[in-house]
This record gives sequence, structure tokens and C-alpha cells, in this order.
Amino acid sequence: MWKTTIPKTINNTDNNKKKSLKIKQYCGANMSLIKIVTGYIGLGALLLSASSAFAAPIPPSATVCTSCHMPTGMGLPNMAPMIAGKNAEYLTRQIDLFIAGERSDPLMTPMAGLISDPKKKAEAINYFASLSAPEIKNPEHRGDHAIIEDPARKLVYQGDWNRNIPACSTCHGASGIGVQDFPRLANQHPDYLEEQLKAWKNKTRSGDHNDVMGSIARQLTDTEITQLSHYFATVK
Amino acid sequence: MNKTLITLAAATLFSHSVLATTELPDKQAELPAHPKTEKSDHLVPRDLSTIPNTPFGDKVKQGYSLFVNTQTLQGKYVNNQQNCVNCHMQAGMKADSAPLWGAFMAYPAYRSKNDKVNTYAERIQGCFTYSMNGTPPPKDSPELVALSAYSYWLAMGGLLDKYDMQDTPIPELSDAAIQLGGNDESFILPAEMMQDLPAGKRGKLAGRSFPKLDKPEQVPSIERGEIVYNTTCASCHGANGEGIRDHGVQSFPPLWGKDSFNWGAGMHRVNTAAFFIYENMPLGKSIQITKQEAWDVAAFMNSHERPQDPRFTGDLKANQEKYHNHQGYYGKTVNGKVLGEHSY
Repeated sequence: MWKTTIPKTINNTDNNKKKSLKIKQYCGANMSLIKIVTGYIGLGALLLSASSAFAAPIPPSATVCTSCHMPTGMGLPNMAPMIAGKNAEYLTRQIDLFIAGERSDPLMTPMAGLISDPKKKAEAINYFASLSAPEIKNPEHRGDHAIIEDPARKLVYQGDWNRNIPACSTCHGASGIGVQDFPRLANQHPDYLEEQLKAWKNKTRSGDHNDVMGSIARQLTDTEITQLSHYFATVK
Repeated sequence: MNKTLITLAAATLFSHSVLATTELPDKQAELPAHPKTEKSDHLVPRDLSTIPNTPFGDKVKQGYSLFVNTQTLQGKYVNNQQNCVNCHMQAGMKADSAPLWGAFMAYPAYRSKNDKVNTYAERIQGCFTYSMNGTPPPKDSPELVALSAYSYWLAMGGLLDKYDMQDTPIPELSDAAIQLGGNDESFILPAEMMQDLPAGKRGKLAGRSFPKLDKPEQVPSIERGEIVYNTTCASCHGANGEGIRDHGVQSFPPLWGKDSFNWGAGMHRVNTAAFFIYENMPLGKSIQITKQEAWDVAAFMNSHERPQDPRFTGDLKANQEKYHNHQGYYGKTVNGKVLGEHSY
């Protein structure tokens, strides 16, 4: 059964429970984790046949990722984040954090272990990093507008320094397009953004430089987290 | 007092293509260091969303935009990869981070060093010459007016609110008045404030400049500073102080090298940098490293080559003796090389 197969390192928060339920629904009830994983690999292999539509062939090591993150790297809502075009250094660090148990997720923790071999890891990551993320046609830069009414957009471009919150775009770039290993937020699935911001806030995610993201997330209200997630998810 | 300004602006136009032949004034004199003050004493500017939709309000908005994204002036007035907001956090509003409201109210200011009264606009021009390693926008140019208007708007809103005059709109002043600055006799404040802030004595608002740090227990060490840098700063400012540039935008500022501030900028002083770093870094966290570490990492950052001091006329020793009698490494030997000899 699902619960008995959760590794001890996993932080069994409400979110994770919800997610396990979704995974269960997605994969069929009563599958053991091993079955889920093998199921995913099978599904990945199945999707491999669709790879001819894409410029780069999917390397075998990336097929464990494609069933949730999709061969396009666009991910699935309520399941897996978009990783297409993400900075390779960022992706590598996240896989390493999952392997080390410093970041945990009922599905990603075991999946990360499957690409722990440095060569496989690099191969899979380079594949997704090479994919294109949706183009942001007119990126909004910090400073473009003095007057911003929408509270989420105001946080993104001006921050709230009464709480020592710098503008999100300072590190995550114009329209949240990402700045090297400061990850892209633009067009990310809103459920993922919300879950991650709450994980930073609740200290169930860590591992950034100087705990800057954690410090900022702990200042955000849950309403702001929802609003910010929606803002970045729908940025064009 | 402004007669020399046009000649000055014209002279500085050539400052980085050829060696400056006209002497530049030392406009980035050391910021007066104050002890740290209580947050409740600091001015809090009004929210940006209250900037009026008027021609004056448009200047304020333009000033904000230029201040935050100064790279829009790249190649015109800016010749490095800096933005004003890099050193003046929260778009120049944050106390203890050299806020614009504090500076605006401190000018015009008499400087005994050059026996001259400098206006607020001239002070901003100095920032362009040194911190932006560029060419200052001329007096009355839309850019200089906009930056002055924004500074004034921050200061006046903060003052009005501090004196419980929240309902009083910020008066719209002439371009001449805002370029002069808030410390002049002609800059009339409401009666309630005049007693506390008579003209000529408005330069010491609480939260102005960067709060002074105690002298370090040990002499600042470049070697110890390098360790602090690699542990705490390099993830954003790069292994070689180059900052981070992506998607054509310099998101994290270069701290040394060709794209950084030059040898005449205030931030090349070890003490100024230590005050700034201790109080404001890392971004979003503020005070994190120890005071000694702040001194050490400031020494490390400022012991690297950067763009040449625009006042340099070919004799490093002479320039050092004339303008560098402070805590800095210009003209000094670090790792076998004299800093300033291989400037950009």
C-alpha cells in the first residue's frame, strides 16, 4: 500500500498527502511505489515514440522524467512542474537536494534516485534544459511602472520593504523569466508555485544560498502566495 | 552658484574617451557617517501609487523608472552595468541605505574642500561621473529633472506624513527648485517643520546615508574577506565579481572589473562599502555577517581593479595624493600590482 512505501525521509505534510492521492488516481489505485515507478518508466518509454516530433531525441535516462514532466518538459498541472528550458545548474542542485533528503516529495524523492548516476543525471538534465519554454513577448522589467495597483504584481516589481521583501523580479528576472540558477517562475503551474512557496515558508524546503528565499517566503501571507502563484502562472 | 555647471558637464563628456584635461570636482566626498537611528525616526515616503497623474507626477514617475532601471541610459549617460537601485535599496526609499529623501534635504551644501556650494542636481551628476562611470546628464535635462523630482517627492511625502499632514498633497515645484535641493532658504517647508528643520540644517535626517560601523577589532583583511566573499557573496555577484547577466539584463551588479563603479565612486572606500554591506546584504535578509566580516569583505571587494578615476590625468601617485586620502586601495600594491595602473 502507498503509505507503507513512503520513505522515512519524506515529510508527510497535507500537501504531500493530497499529492499522493492525485498520484494514486493518476496511476491507478493500490499500486506500490515500485510499480508506480516502473509504470512511469513504461509510460516514458511509450512516450518516447512521440519524440520524433521534437528536435532533440530523448536520452534514455530522461525517460524516467517524461511521464510526469512530459517529453516537452512542460509538466502537468497538479503533478509536475514545467522544467523545459530551466537552468541546468538549478536542476542539478534540485536533484541533488532530493537525493540528499534536503528537499522531499513523495514522487520526486525516489525518482531522483533513479538518475543519481552523474552521467545519467547530466544527460537527463541537459535534455530538459535544452528545451524551449514559452516565449515572453514583452517582459516587464523592474522599474517599468511606478504605479502598480495589483498587489501580486506590486510584490513582483517593487517588493514590500516594510517586511524586507525585495521585488521578486530582482532575482527571478523580468516577468520571472529566470536568471541563471535563480529559477524561472513565468508560466509555471500555479499549484506547484503555491506548494513550493508554502514549503519554503514552512521550512520543509531549504537549500538556497543564505536562506534568502526562505526568509522572504516566511514574510508572505498565504493569500499573497496564492496571488503570486497565479500571477507568474499566467504571465505572458 | 550654477554658472560652472554647463562647462563642467561639457568637460565631463570627454572624461572617459580621453584622459580628463579639466579637473573634476570631488563630488563623491565621503558620506557623513551617522550612528544608527531608530526606525520610528525615519521618513517613510508615500506609496508610489499616489504619484499624481499630472505633468509633474510624470517627471516623478520617470525619475523612479530611471533610478531603478538606469541601464535605459546605457551609452548615453551610463557606461557600466550599474543601476542606482543597486546601492540605494527599495528604489532609494530605504533608510540606512543612502535614501534619496535624506540626500535631497541635504543639498545645496557648502563644501569647504572646493569652496563651492553644490546643488542636489550636481550631486546626482557626480553619481553619473563616478558610480555610473558615465557622463552626467546636463542641468535641466529631462533625466536630471526627473531624478530630482522623484527625490523631492519621496522627501516631501515622508516629511508631510511625519508631521501628520497625510491629507496635504505634495506641492509641485519648478524644475529649478527641485534641482537646487531641499536645504536652500528658498525651499519653504510648512510652519510646523520650520522650527525643527531650518534651511541649512536639513542634512542630518535620521536614516540618512549608511549607519556607521564600529572600527574593526582587527585591521580589515583581504584574505579573510575573500573567504567571506566566496561563502556568502559569490552566488549572486560571481566568482570574479562580475555579477550575473542573463537574458541581456545585468540582474546582479558587478562589484569590480570593467562594468563596475569607478575609482572615484564613494563605494570604492572600504569604510563606505563595509557600512553598506553590513546593513543591507544579503538582499532580502539584511544584517547577516559580523561587523568584522563586513570590513574584511569590503576590503576584498575594493582591492580589485575597476574603471579609472575620471580625475586621473596620467600621474597615479599625484591623483592618489590629491583625491585618495581615505580608506581605499587606489595606488596601493595588492598581490604585486599597483591598483589604478591597470584600470579599465
